[in-house]
Amino acid sequence: MATATDRAVGFGLVAFSLALFAYYTLWIVVLPFIDSAHAIHRFFLPREYAVIIPVVAGLLLLLFIGVFIMVVTWKSKKPAKKSE
Amino acid sequence: MTKLAQWLCGLALLGSAWAALALSPPGLRLPAPCRQALLPLPVYLLVAFGCYALATVGYRLATFNDCEEAAAELREHISAAREDLRRRGLRF
Repeated sequence: MATATDRAVGFGLVAFSLALFAYYTLWIVVLPFIDSAHAIHRFFLPREYAVIIPVVAGLLLLLFIGVFIMVVTWKSKKPAKKSE
Repeated sequence: MTKLAQWLCGLALLGSAWAALALSPPGLRLPAPCRQALLPLPVYLLVAFGCYALATVGYRLATFNDCEEAAAELREHISAAREDLRRRGLRF
């Protein structure tokens, strides 16, 4: 058996991604077919955000990865230069 | 054909199908809700794939079994190797 923390984190990730998938599917696929007077539209942002938020999140992720690689490369070059 | 070429062909096929339906060619009359749901479809598929990847990682993390004997054996091997190297003069 995996440790309790491992299981908690793992199933937490599963639950989070299921919730995110359900919310996003409702937002993109189901909502256009529902009357604009229905109360369910109160729980969802305007449709433009359904594209803007993932794109911005993706760009932030790429930025983070790029910065991380730069920092690691810079750190691994400095000791080599100092010992010369 | 390489795997990369296969994937690119599949993506090109899906991409052109989506573009054909979504960019309102003059001859096609799709109902408005269908077009509204169709436009963000690439972003939706990307997010869905991300959710699937996250769920797979989480599930495998939760169900991976600890191997106690293998861990103990590995610790033994490591200490034996350190002893051996220390005898041969390598300083830790």
